Amino acid sequence: MPDSALRRGLRRPRTMIGLCIVAVCVLLGLLAPVLSPHSPMDQSFDALQRLSLAHPLGTDELGRDLLARVLYGIRVDVVVAVFAIPLGAIAGCALGMLSANNRWYGTLLQRSFDLMLAFTALVMGMLVAALIGTGTPAVVVTVALVNVPLFGRITRSAVMTQLSRDYAVAAEVLGVSRGRLMLRHILPNSVDALIVQAALSFSMAVFIEGAMSFVGIGVRPPNPSLGATLKASINFLGQTPAYSIAPMVVVTLLVLGFTLISDGLNQALLKR
Amino acid sequence: MTHLNAHAGTAADPVLQVQGLSTRFHTGRGTVRAVENVSFDVRRGETLGLVGESGSGKSVTAMSLLNLVREPGNIEAGHILFRGKDIVALSNKELRGIRGNGLSMVFQDPMSSLNPIMRIGDQITEAIHGKERTTAAQARERAVKLMKLVGIPDPALRLADYPHRFSGGMRQRVMIAMALANEPDVIVADEPTTALDVTVQAQILDVLADINRQLGTAIILITHNLGVVARSCDRVAVMYAGRIVEQARTADLFADPRHPYTQALLAATPRLLASRAHALMPIEGQPPNLADAITGCAFAQRCHFAHAACQEQPPTTQLDDRRFDCWKTASGEPLPPLPRHRSQGPEAVALVRAMPVAEDPQSRTGLVPPLLEVRDLVVRFNVPSTSLNPFAPGRHLHAVDGVSFTIDRAETVGLVGESGCGKSSLGKALMGINPVTTGQVVFDGKDVTQLSGEQRQWVRRQLQMVFQDPMSALNPRMTIGDALAEPLIVHGLCKGAAQVQARVGELMQLVGLDPAVATRYPHEFSGGQRQRVVIARGLAVNPKLLVCDEAVAALDVSLQAQVINLLKDLQARLGLSMLFIGHDLASVRYVSDRILVMYLGQVVEEGPAETLTLQPQHPYTVSLLSAVPEPDPVTEASRQRIMLGGDLPSPLDPPSGCRFRTRCPVGPLHREGRERCVSEQPALMPVAGSPGSKAACHFAGEMTLAGATATRVIPLHESKELIPT
Repeated sequence: MPDSALRRGLRRPRTMIGLCIVAVCVLLGLLAPVLSPHSPMDQSFDALQRLSLAHPLGTDELGRDLLARVLYGIRVDVVVAVFAIPLGAIAGCALGMLSANNRWYGTLLQRSFDLMLAFTALVMGMLVAALIGTGTPAVVVTVALVNVPLFGRITRSAVMTQLSRDYAVAAEVLGVSRGRLMLRHILPNSVDALIVQAALSFSMAVFIEGAMSFVGIGVRPPNPSLGATLKASINFLGQTPAYSIAPMVVVTLLVLGFTLISDGLNQALLKR
Repeated sequence: MTHLNAHAGTAADPVLQVQGLSTRFHTGRGTVRAVENVSFDVRRGETLGLVGESGSGKSVTAMSLLNLVREPGNIEAGHILFRGKDIVALSNKELRGIRGNGLSMVFQDPMSSLNPIMRIGDQITEAIHGKERTTAAQARERAVKLMKLVGIPDPALRLADYPHRFSGGMRQRVMIAMALANEPDVIVADEPTTALDVTVQAQILDVLADINRQLGTAIILITHNLGVVARSCDRVAVMYAGRIVEQARTADLFADPRHPYTQALLAATPRLLASRAHALMPIEGQPPNLADAITGCAFAQRCHFAHAACQEQPPTTQLDDRRFDCWKTASGEPLPPLPRHRSQGPEAVALVRAMPVAEDPQSRTGLVPPLLEVRDLVVRFNVPSTSLNPFAPGRHLHAVDGVSFTIDRAETVGLVGESGCGKSSLGKALMGINPVTTGQVVFDGKDVTQLSGEQRQWVRRQLQMVFQDPMSALNPRMTIGDALAEPLIVHGLCKGAAQVQARVGELMQLVGLDPAVATRYPHEFSGGQRQRVVIARGLAVNPKLLVCDEAVAALDVSLQAQVINLLKDLQARLGLSMLFIGHDLASVRYVSDRILVMYLGQVVEEGPAETLTLQPQHPYTVSLLSAVPEPDPVTEASRQRIMLGGDLPSPLDPPSGCRFRTRCPVGPLHREGRERCVSEQPALMPVAGSPGSKAACHFAGEMTLAGATATRVIPLHESKELIPT
């Protein structure tokens, strides 16, 4: 049974569509060297070209191949998501469990979560960039930090719900230690809400990477990133509209894909 | 009060006819045949009982009657004839004309059936939509009249109140008033008293009986409680696996059941007035899954009298006024008596060696100190003030207020009381789940309220608990094998995986489960089996005392009997002591040696189980006993009923002096010169002439269970089955 709900969630049409979209995007990113003959860094004199056979998506203002830049840009997003979300989730989960177990820590942690939520992702990003400098690590740290209070709160409320159920009381009566109670009983029963949040966080990671690179505190040029490409394209919207379309579509697809997965899982796992 | 034949003159005049009704639910996992070929008539002015256990299709039948079945459900076949029209075939507009006007419904949970943000008066007037237009003043007047009819005090004043100002019983009265708003011919009441306390249940049943008698409204009373049927119904239809297996006049059905399921259900139901020496007879096995096609008799697999013919659909036998579907009785012969309950079989006995047997003959004589002694226990909860003033003092709720009692070795003590009396808080305080505010809990000579660390773990091995809802008491993500192994590992009782596994197997056998199913998850078991697992888990650490908190309340009658018998059996074989907490006196009485009765946080009476149920001393115990409906129409008809007025006072603000005085039939509200009850709190004092009994009443023994109750102390199981027609 433990995973039948998850399996049911994964089999929902909505989740399937989301998974397909994400899989295609990730595959494109992974196959970037195969799919694109050009390196994303190679500059040429053919700046701002329209779609052509040589450059299927055209080139940017420095004559770099846009297809290559978009495909390699996906890789950055995948790296950010894969590193940052587990980091944020684990930290948030641990703090959330701690806050559900002790009234004093609990209050303190809850208020610090509130404080962290008060910073929008971008302001948080600026803070991080100021402290450790711009670049991919800054994006990873920002995404992780933004996720800590989100996972923290969800874990806390899920743990509190489970703690009030009879099986938790029964475990206590049987003399099960607090740590074992948390890890063996409460956490496995709280994991549903966390899975849903994780899927949602993936779409948020793409979004935050885009936003940070867009304002120039994310991935450092000349490295390719979807957000940075989008930012650069703004200046040439009138001349080559095709420039902005590709990164826009990919960002939208990634966000949509992860949101659909989260939504589908949510229906199967949480709304019983 | 009895009206068994009150409407004999109009008996032949059906107001609602159900013919061959089948309702099915088309789910992803197949078609569930919730109601299958159900036919019955409701006659003008009668009360028809529809009884069955959970999943028998009685509620779906009720929904079908009003054509309220929604996706994925569908009425597949049959006719419901009402006022010459077939309800199944009506359009939504025509249905609206009938619902509320001709047929109306009262639901189980009065807490969620009223709109919390609408005044009661508005909700009742909204239900009034007669043919002629009514002015606001007329509607208001009618609402007041309806509220008076269902016994709501000060109706004109209460019109402006919101639902949260009403207690559960009062809300159910409002629901009934709304159902009556347009003078329907038939009221369908779906478990109208299941969510209510037994004294309030008695009030609501009385209201329904009054309506039935005064207005001639026919009532279809859906319930799982055979006592309710015996008390209120003229005729009964028994449902099993979506079919009606038997219908008859109430007296006939109880005296001479013609379907083995009816007979088995009667034998499994705990009674207040039967001898305790007879074990309840559980119905072995489980009801069939309605998603599977059933050929032949649905009850055949659990039936004592099943034979080859039962593989085929049994014929419907019509005999005078009754109908039943059974091969055994098709000839018109009555059913033979049920064979005696067999023991659980040899596999359960093997374990006794492994467990300490602590039957100490000296314990009863008082030479050995009791296993558990509770002295002046107080459990207090802080309740946040509702005042807007931030400096207002917080309030205290005394859930348990000065309770003292003892439990001897190998003794079972029952603890009964209505919801909110503090019985569960007391049990949890003993287990160390609720903090003890003041007082002592002395277990085996040690005060366990003062323990910490190492010694706390020791106490946890001595005291274990069984919970009300076995589904929530088991971790859904853990196999039951792991759940049973956990206490063994935590307390280091077994070394090595092999030993743990062996012990888990033993435990499962002890409670009558096959050790092979240890790898399954809780949702794969039935309610009764899950409760066995919970009991086995409690027993894993060889406790000396088992606290059972409403351990059978969530189970169906047939499973309830299984669990009660198991507990009694275990108690006898393992020398366990038990505290059996419950609200149902009949089932508590079966298990307990002594019973404590609680009211608003205090023990009002204590005594040996038999004495307490037959010669109660405290007026509250007397009222409680008389409110419990006995599954026997003869007793019910002749029994003196004491109706308690009003509701339980708030435990936040208990009455001064005797806490029961505001509802007491012999208290200051009903008798002159009882100022003492107001000013002085009665102590729990021994009752003269009744060894072991104590009561907390200044006028203990003044009120008695009169007449019929005391004389009918015969073992009903034996006599019942043998009564010839």
